[in-house]
Amino acid sequence: MPDPMVAAEATQGAVSARGAHLSLSRVAIERENDEQRVVGRLAAVFFLAALLFAIYGWLQGDTFFMRLATEALIYAGLALSVDLLLGYGGLLSLGHALFFGLGAYVSALILKDVAPSFWLALAGGTLVGLLAGVVGGIIAIRARGVYFALITFGMAQVVAKIIYNTQELGASDGIIGIPIVPIRLGIADIMSDDPFSFFILVLVIIAAIYVFLSYATRTPYGRVLSAIRVNEGRLPFLGYSPAYTKLGAFVISSMIAGLCGSLYPMLRGFVSPELMYFEVSTNAVIAVVIGGAGTLVGPLYGAMALVFGKSVVGSYTEHHLIVIGVFFMASVIFLPQGFAGFIKDRFIGSQDGRS
Amino acid sequence: MKKSKITKQFAGGLFAAAALAAVQISAAQAADPVKIGVLTPLSGTYTGIGQQVKWGLELAAKEINASGGILGRQVELIYEDSEANPAVAAQKAEKLFQVEKVDFLTGTVNSGATLAVGQVAERNNTLMATTVSFSDAITGAKCSPNVFRVNAPAGMQANALASWLGSAKSKPKTFYLGPDYEMGRSTVAAFKQRAEEKGAESIGEVFAPLGAKDYSQYFGKLRAARPEVLYTSVAGNDTVRLMTQLQEYGLLKKMQIVGASGTITSQNIKAIGDAAEGYVTGVGYSALIDTPENKDFVAKFNATNKADPDLYGADSYGLLYFFKAAAEKAKKIDTDSLRTAMRGVSWMTPQGEKTMRAGDHQAIMPMYAVTVKGGEFNIHSKVEADKAIGPDTCERF
Amino acid sequence: MDYLQFVLAPQMLNGLSFGLAVILMALGLTIIFGLLDVINMAHGEFYAIGAYVGFVLLGMGLNFWLVVALVPILMLPLGYITERFLVRRVFHSADRHTLTLLLTLGLSMILMDVLKITFGPNTVKPAIPVSGGIEVFDVFLPAYRMLLIAFGAAVIAAVYILIYRTSIGAIIRAAAFDKDMASSLGVRVSRVYSMTFAVGVALAGLSGILLAPVFSVFPTMGHDFIILAFTVVIVGGMGSIKGAVLAGLLLTQVQAVASLIVSPVWTDPILFGIMVLVLMLRPQGLFGRLGYA
Repeated sequence: MPDPMVAAEATQGAVSARGAHLSLSRVAIERENDEQRVVGRLAAVFFLAALLFAIYGWLQGDTFFMRLATEALIYAGLALSVDLLLGYGGLLSLGHALFFGLGAYVSALILKDVAPSFWLALAGGTLVGLLAGVVGGIIAIRARGVYFALITFGMAQVVAKIIYNTQELGASDGIIGIPIVPIRLGIADIMSDDPFSFFILVLVIIAAIYVFLSYATRTPYGRVLSAIRVNEGRLPFLGYSPAYTKLGAFVISSMIAGLCGSLYPMLRGFVSPELMYFEVSTNAVIAVVIGGAGTLVGPLYGAMALVFGKSVVGSYTEHHLIVIGVFFMASVIFLPQGFAGFIKDRFIGSQDGRS
Repeated sequence: MKKSKITKQFAGGLFAAAALAAVQISAAQAADPVKIGVLTPLSGTYTGIGQQVKWGLELAAKEINASGGILGRQVELIYEDSEANPAVAAQKAEKLFQVEKVDFLTGTVNSGATLAVGQVAERNNTLMATTVSFSDAITGAKCSPNVFRVNAPAGMQANALASWLGSAKSKPKTFYLGPDYEMGRSTVAAFKQRAEEKGAESIGEVFAPLGAKDYSQYFGKLRAARPEVLYTSVAGNDTVRLMTQLQEYGLLKKMQIVGASGTITSQNIKAIGDAAEGYVTGVGYSALIDTPENKDFVAKFNATNKADPDLYGADSYGLLYFFKAAAEKAKKIDTDSLRTAMRGVSWMTPQGEKTMRAGDHQAIMPMYAVTVKGGEFNIHSKVEADKAIGPDTCERF
Repeated sequence: MDYLQFVLAPQMLNGLSFGLAVILMALGLTIIFGLLDVINMAHGEFYAIGAYVGFVLLGMGLNFWLVVALVPILMLPLGYITERFLVRRVFHSADRHTLTLLLTLGLSMILMDVLKITFGPNTVKPAIPVSGGIEVFDVFLPAYRMLLIAFGAAVIAAVYILIYRTSIGAIIRAAAFDKDMASSLGVRVSRVYSMTFAVGVALAGLSGILLAPVFSVFPTMGHDFIILAFTVVIVGGMGSIKGAVLAGLLLTQVQAVASLIVSPVWTDPILFGIMVLVLMLRPQGLFGRLGYA
């Protein structure tokens, strides 16, 4: 295991000038380690809570809340993919539902018409996410800021419309009749309609995605991506290519979105064009912002809060849009760093004394 | 840090407790109520339809409860907002089946939601019915043993309208204008086929994108064709735009406009204004049906809701009587007995007697050709139930 | 010749009347972006509010043209308040573009639901104020649409004169070009911002009431052509009035003519493709920014 100080310093080099600022980067490293600790604890709490929730639900024999939580986890995965772009790359995507929906459709078609194979459907969803991400990325990457947002939005609209009009894909009714899928894991077999075990499976998948992204954002590549958000213009002078980095991030993000999308038909048994609509993309963005952009763990909390919140609020009033809108705006104005960002600042600030 | 651990379980428990409490408070008697889940759009574009569905069901529930309920048990309606989105509808349906443990579900409006929820109903071994969705597939290619329909699907509407066309005009030159998506195209195709059987001469068709703002770009083609009859299957706001733009360009006086029953409804007729005069369509219901039962129904509906019932309200009202008739026939309300009882049962509704066809779970009912006069749907003629109903194309059961 | 007379010419004329309304909406957007560097995702909702306010006023019996004059005036305070109390909160952060986009996105969600609660979900439509039309060369030209073209052109001209030929306009352009310098020269930049945002919103509302008799009024109407408006702004150049006008005319003509050649469903992807091309080849649009062009 290399000396962490040296390794951290080497990777910090992408963002700060080398040599002369040794003491400054040491402080930055320490702060970052503190942040990682807090984020790590938040993540541990999240997954532990989810596990306890699952056991409780299993003991109660509950189906609805387990499935709702599974759906929330799937959307949490989508939120993670949006956070990679927004929180780390500074790229706001308003059309990520495109990759999610494509993954869902491909998965549905595979399960229904090819073979009810979990791994094949998952692979198919991820693959279509990859392909669409490459195409979409090449188109969108040239643009920055609001232009990027508008292009991603437009892409999602166009493809959603095409699918809405395609008979073979179920048109406006979508595709129903997705069979229940047996999932062979070597150690155990799970049926996709068993609420408890499917929830655990999805939890494991999301945890894996989280760990992967958590790691990736700390590699040199991930640092360059963060650097893009801070000061894109400086990067070429340091020898990095922003375009390729952005494209890479975009493709990773779209693959994750496609993968999460492929889980949806297994849970609900159908897909429809609404999965690609603006509302799904916006919900992911809202989850990221409320949870805390750039923390990865924040979007997880945000997505759970959003899905459960909608379900609870929806039972009392049909004006849930206003409630969500108000929360969202309040978050943007008063708490732009989101829930996780707030926790981070609180806990690091209170240990203040050194920095 | 303790926040999230406790919050989640707390929220789950709180919700279950709240649901339970709500049930206790609203139950009118000590005896277990019959719970009917109503999953209908309470927000979004279709709220107007959801509103009528709600009104119709509530009136029926009130009447049934006042006269002793179903098998001695009171009827309780439990609402959830489907947002006209199949993904949301499926999730809320599961909540209704699993948490509320409803005995029956209804209220879905768009066909995608009905199909998706039907699947959830199958997996939860409960029955559901739609009172609005008109895609033929629901009782046709995609039929389900747990899904029933009490309203008229597109095919029946087309039958009624074509029948009127055949008797009102001889060999009319007909032009078709539909919204460019799968449902719009198939509605046009279905009517075209039936109209041609009655002798109409099809002279052209054009499809406009859903939500098109300006239909005037199609008027050139329309003018050149010089049709006597224009059939359209647009709906909602699109109809408002199409009709008023036709009027703006002076085309209304030259043609007879006919359309699908969802094209001009109580939700958009006010906005269309006098451009709707003379429009003809085939529907299962009109507030002006001249029977004592209907007059009574309309009066009661108006008194409570300050608005006339439309086909969605009337069909939803009739649904509870359908359920009641089947429950009394079966003497119980578990799924299998109900299903058997529902097949072939007949029940009275404000628009006449309906019978549930066993082969595809589609209600057989008389249809009416109505024409708009003074903002109301006047009855022009009636098509008997056996002529209006189409063939049974459901093969699953 | 027949085709030209009966199909193409009327089509282009309709594209023109539609285009002018889109330009009015895009003008508001581009001015707001050009000066404040703010993306207003709620612009469509302001368009809808203008239509509803106009509808209510008409319901009170006022003359249509009076209402058309009143609506933008009533929208001004709404825009002012939005800028002053909402947009300004996130204005000074580094992530301004993203935050204002998100903020106005949340605002649009709320406004749409409020409209639905206040006015009900069903469509309403004010009557067309001027019915009938003229027949020119056997082609029917509705009177209201002709008036729309004339009126729209007049408003655009007025805005142009305001921005480029008055001292107020000079102040606005100066604040867009270099706000610190303008501020040090005594310009109350924050006041200019609020007023400009208000004017942008008023233009959207005006567009709403002008189009209401033709396209009808319903809570989600804001989404009808917000995309088109954004496309016009991007192609024309964020902040450029000339650009908005030219791009607006161009794109609506492309849409009108294209829908004759291909199925109309494809006009959206075509316009989207144009937007992407412009962004890839000439990201600043046809004319660039407000202070600069």
